[in-house]
Amino acid sequence: MSDVAVDKVLDLRGLTCPMPLLKTKKELKGMTPGQVLEVWGTDEGSKKDIPDFVNKKKHEFLSLEDVAEGYTKYLIKA
Amino acid sequence: MDDTTFLGFAKEDIKNAYSTVFENTWPLWLGGVFMGILVLMVFLWNFPWGVTGGYRNWIEWLGYVVKIKGEAPPITPWLHPVSAGNAGIIIGAIGSALLSRQFKWQLASGREYFKGILGGALMGTGVAMTGGCLGGAFYSGIGVFSLGGFTMVIGVMIGAYLGLRLVLWEVESLPPSKQPIPSEKKEGGFDWKSIYPAMGVAVFLLAIAIMYVYSYFDEVKIGGLCLLGVIMGLVMHRSRFCFVRVFRCPLMTGDAEMVKTACLSLTIYALGSAVIKWSYLQPDTMGVYHPVGLGTIGGGILFGTGMILLGSCASSALWRMGEGNTKIIVGLFSFSIANSIARTFFMKWDLYQYFGSSIFIPEVLSWHLTLPLYALFFVGWVLLANWNEESEKFVIF
Repeated sequence: MSDVAVDKVLDLRGLTCPMPLLKTKKELKGMTPGQVLEVWGTDEGSKKDIPDFVNKKKHEFLSLEDVAEGYTKYLIKA
Repeated sequence: MDDTTFLGFAKEDIKNAYSTVFENTWPLWLGGVFMGILVLMVFLWNFPWGVTGGYRNWIEWLGYVVKIKGEAPPITPWLHPVSAGNAGIIIGAIGSALLSRQFKWQLASGREYFKGILGGALMGTGVAMTGGCLGGAFYSGIGVFSLGGFTMVIGVMIGAYLGLRLVLWEVESLPPSKQPIPSEKKEGGFDWKSIYPAMGVAVFLLAIAIMYVYSYFDEVKIGGLCLLGVIMGLVMHRSRFCFVRVFRCPLMTGDAEMVKTACLSLTIYALGSAVIKWSYLQPDTMGVYHPVGLGTIGGGILFGTGMILLGSCASSALWRMGEGNTKIIVGLFSFSIANSIARTFFMKWDLYQYFGSSIFIPEVLSWHLTLPLYALFFVGWVLLANWNEESEKFVIF
């Protein structure tokens, strides 16, 4: 998924429930369909919450990856 | 599979089972079913499930040890039934977090810690009015047919709305707070994660040993509560079971999953509880002490607002703490202190008389009417939540 062009990066590292989901939702609302959002997070619960939310709404969940630096990268198409 | 011997098969089977239990998150509904069964075991074993009394016991004991409080609590933490159950949940969650390699000390920004302290204080004060947290007053309240469980729903819903509005104001009006960035893994440093599963096994073996120690000292009832807590900690952590989501998600994302899970779990709890109470296996009014009126509604509003700021309810705070969440640990100190102070204050000024009285529903409506009404309530709530998920009528942003 590294070849996906990212339009916006949202750094949510250090935030815990409910802030990562709340901020992701708010950010996606301001994006135009087709744009890609990259989210960085450290909250373990977000690994389920964010994909579940995205898949239930009219967005597309592209990927989730634990990176060596100790956080998780999410790619979402608005 | 290359190895077709019994040992080879067993090895592969255990590996698959480990992955199912500890690597994949359990479906939420499964957590709800297990919780329904476990709380019924706690009820039969001792008393309907709750957690707040355990926190209060810990903080009052700590206050006594550091000489802030002159009088020792009547029961020591290791013999207090709720304290033992709470300790079990933390132990179970630590074991589960280690086995699933999810244990991680999570630091937060100063603002997040402040929100944790404020949220904890609101929740602790609210709980002093409601007679329990979401586990003890909402879940157990409805489960044991206490009308206060339902009135608390009203208060917590209002509180969740206010809490979300506050958090939204923060996001829209304040600059982002500076979050601590996780440090990169040092080259050549010891990889603790590689031994997490072994440490997790050791934690669960320790939990079993604790049960034997209690049994040896003729305290099997307390040991049993601790062990049931350990299983609850595992279940709650693996399914990420949190009552806050019942009230927050319909307003934040519209998601109805936790409402459906809570209704499923409460159906099991209430059915089992009806069997226990109607046949007098336990006294029928046992666990019915939640004040209907100002206590559960006003206290519910405070609790609901606080839980959004803290990001957890009192029971899920136990497993989040076991996962290494430092904001929750700070918030729980504030929760326990506020709860102890508020309770003392309300008692000193004789304010509990204004909070309302408890009502045992079957005593007013009879069992014959109560049970169908319960079924109607759960079905109606699920339908409303599903409709909201589709229409987003109650979603506030």
